[in-house]
Amino acid sequence: MRFIWRAAALAAMTALLWSAHAQQPVRIGSTLALTGPLGSAGNIQKVAIEVYIDDLNSRGGLLGRKVEWVLKDDQSRPDLARTLYEQLATVDKVDLLMGPYGTASILSAMGVAQRYGKILIHNSFGTPRLAKYDMQFSASGGAGDPENVWPNLVFDAVATAPKPPKTVAIVTTKFPSAHSIALGAREVAKKRGLTEVLFLEYEFGNRDFGAIAARVKDAKPDFVFAGALGLDGVLLLDAMKKIDYQPPMHFYTFPAPGPMLKLPEAKNALALTTFEEHPPHTGNPQATQFIQGFRERAAKASLPSTSVDLLSTIAYASWQVLEAAVSGARSLDDKALAQWLRQSQVDTVMGRLSWQGTPEGPPNFVMGKDIYKVKQLQDGKWLVVWPKEFAAPGAKLIGP
Amino acid sequence: MRFVAAAIVLGAVPFLGLPAFYESFLYLVFHWVVLATSWNILSGYSGYFSFGHAAFFGIGVYTTAVLAGKLDWPFLWTLPFAAAVPALVGVALGAIIFRVRALRGELFALLTLAVTFVVSTLVLNTPVDGGPGVMLSAVSIPKLAPTVSGTFYLLSLVLALATVAIAYAVYHSRFGTGLFAIHDDEAVAEVMGVPTYRFKLAAFALSCALAGVAGGIYGVFVSYVTVGETFSGFVALYVILMAALGGTRHWLGPALGAAALTTLLYVFTTSDYAVAGRAAMGLIFILVILFLPQGLLGRFAHRKALPRRNAPIPSAAPAAKNMESILVVRDLSKAFKGVQALSHVELEVRRGEILGLVGPNGSGKSTLINLVSGHYPVDGGSIRFEGRELVGEAPHRIARAGIARTYQIPRPFPHLTVLENVALPPMFGQVVMDRAAAEAEAWRWLEFTGLAGKALLQPQHLNLHQRKFLELARALASRPKLLFLDEVLSGLTPSEMNEAIRLIRAIRDQGATIVFVEHVMRAVMELTDRVVVLTYGKNIAAGAPGDVMRDPQVITAYLGAAHA
Repeated sequence: MRFIWRAAALAAMTALLWSAHAQQPVRIGSTLALTGPLGSAGNIQKVAIEVYIDDLNSRGGLLGRKVEWVLKDDQSRPDLARTLYEQLATVDKVDLLMGPYGTASILSAMGVAQRYGKILIHNSFGTPRLAKYDMQFSASGGAGDPENVWPNLVFDAVATAPKPPKTVAIVTTKFPSAHSIALGAREVAKKRGLTEVLFLEYEFGNRDFGAIAARVKDAKPDFVFAGALGLDGVLLLDAMKKIDYQPPMHFYTFPAPGPMLKLPEAKNALALTTFEEHPPHTGNPQATQFIQGFRERAAKASLPSTSVDLLSTIAYASWQVLEAAVSGARSLDDKALAQWLRQSQVDTVMGRLSWQGTPEGPPNFVMGKDIYKVKQLQDGKWLVVWPKEFAAPGAKLIGP
Repeated sequence: MRFVAAAIVLGAVPFLGLPAFYESFLYLVFHWVVLATSWNILSGYSGYFSFGHAAFFGIGVYTTAVLAGKLDWPFLWTLPFAAAVPALVGVALGAIIFRVRALRGELFALLTLAVTFVVSTLVLNTPVDGGPGVMLSAVSIPKLAPTVSGTFYLLSLVLALATVAIAYAVYHSRFGTGLFAIHDDEAVAEVMGVPTYRFKLAAFALSCALAGVAGGIYGVFVSYVTVGETFSGFVALYVILMAALGGTRHWLGPALGAAALTTLLYVFTTSDYAVAGRAAMGLIFILVILFLPQGLLGRFAHRKALPRRNAPIPSAAPAAKNMESILVVRDLSKAFKGVQALSHVELEVRRGEILGLVGPNGSGKSTLINLVSGHYPVDGGSIRFEGRELVGEAPHRIARAGIARTYQIPRPFPHLTVLENVALPPMFGQVVMDRAAAEAEAWRWLEFTGLAGKALLQPQHLNLHQRKFLELARALASRPKLLFLDEVLSGLTPSEMNEAIRLIRAIRDQGATIVFVEHVMRAVMELTDRVVVLTYGKNIAAGAPGDVMRDPQVITAYLGAAHA
């Protein structure tokens, strides 16, 4: 009899403890560049992730527990990112880590994750070959060799123009990720038989594009491939306008989308994307929820643009990957999540992601293909034009 | 002792089993302590305000990045080079910059800012980086502590303690005193015997070397270095802000500012307050500039004078008056943009005498002093002091040879106390003293000039009469063989003048040789053994005071020719 009482008491205690545990939130820690040079990007990602967590918690959270996001500001500094991830791992003792924004900070966080055996899902790692950790997973949608995949995608796209380009001018910032893609573009162009009439590099942060514009004009290229970030493209186009030059076809790696929309000279500019606010990307409940949620929160947060773009999409998708892994592995154990991701595919708002790497590539990166698309600025809107199956209804690449 | 105890306690932190975060956070604190303190050794102490600290920090980062990341050197072996390379670059730059007198203040700040751009461009466009950044995660970290974070903590702790100890030692040394004098009035410091060029170069090298080592450690800490992040403007901005907050005129000020601001920045990393934190930083900066321009320690902690030592200091033996010439000036000329200030001037000063040097305003008396003391370069002629040619010598060497001077308009070092002002020349004069001996000597001359009661005040609290006497005390403290007194009596009331004349007599009684430049004829007649008269840059008469004053040329020079 005494045994039965003891067993019952023990069972009751266990149930109590379990229910208390179940009510404790899952704490997920990350940093973002909320201030400093990358602050604008970090704040866009913050809003996108908040939209996602609201939705996730309204659906019951992870494994029946609400999710609490422990977010810190790494001030765009990798040294601070490292220390903050140490704090998240050793003092805050969060259940899971998510990546920060930007290659250098992600590398700092990756070192910490590796030391504590934590999985790290990130979305903005510009140079995949630098990733050596086998429990890091990119949710950016990019391949392990973007310097090969993206130039091929872009040259495929421009080859569909009525008059495909035969000559190319490549100008690029020396910011590491954009630079390596531009160097890749040189190789790809050569292999495809295009003639490189100009190759120019400029320093990150350069604001004077007058001389570069003049050199491009003199080279008379059919196509300008600009390894340009942020406002570089706008400034380059502005400088070209001053010397009465309009490139026949022009591509910018990752331009600030808003300012380009307002610039008449940016007409028909090309850029990379994973998601745009038009079919076939939209039209499903998940995308609708994301776009609406983002608009509302972005307006409240006074972001310059309330439209969903590449930055917000990859942030949103990275948390979709996390949710899929936790649900799929039915666990918060880092090794179990990593194991599940390596063997699985995840459908995100921007497309299907997988991480079956190859021995020659960085761990957990698919080589040779990804889900990126080429978009073009047509009639004041960014429309995907390539690959065809992701193009906006009726849209195709406009070229000379 | 307290310093050693603190070092032991801090050194034990990695072995206490605390979460690694604390080591990482303290690493950041020590990192900024090193950067802010090293910046201050040049910019705070000597006043050469640098915006280029990121350049030298970055050179250190990339020295280790290349040696450890690309050439696979052991990490710790790279650190001496991370110190040496930026120090050499600093010395090479300083060797050019510090020779140009005009490159002070904002010009120096802009130049150092430009250096950051030049260095970053070179690193970006050469194989040192070339654009993609340098990956350092494969660099093997020596196991100095149980964890990797602990190792970085210990490295930065040792460097921070060394840096603060160096800042402390410099602060209390002749070197530091010289740097503070350079900060206040470089030309006067040089004339007082401070080898300003060498001191600036040494401070620059030290500052660069310490920043370089911090960079070497930092590169491996972040594990991936890029030009954009390494040479970003915030390094210079933060170190300036930290040093300004803590106090640039105190050895511990920048360390205090660095600890406070790093902690504050960390407090505001919670996402909800990130932007508010940045705004708070800006506000703090504005408040510091407005209300604490000297920083926390500058406001609340002052450099303490050493305990007053009244032990008798042997003074220079009275020189016997004789006919031997101590200073011989021949054919000396100087022109300023076409105005001939001195033309073929001849002058002899005999050991032990007081020579009056008189003449109307603009006759070239002060120019003569400025040439002999090396303040201005000589156009032509010769100045021989005790048989040694002084033309072409640096002013501090002339001071060390035993020549001292006062300034017609007193030029005390405004941020040094009266005692420190007077203690400076003995540290750099012909008999080089350490700080304690120099302060004891200074007390002696402060007593002599009646300024002992004002010793711990700054010169701004003195009236003109006291400032003139401060000039005197400062000149006498170097125990000169030859003393130039440039219009020490001008602007004094009759009673103050009487006191000054009494003082100069007392100086003469001690046997100093004096060149006495003065307009007050009563004093000239009372004090001098001989008089030389200058007018329009030429000497027109020389001899006993009574004879010279009756010389028709002298009367004409002072009163003009009679035309009636």
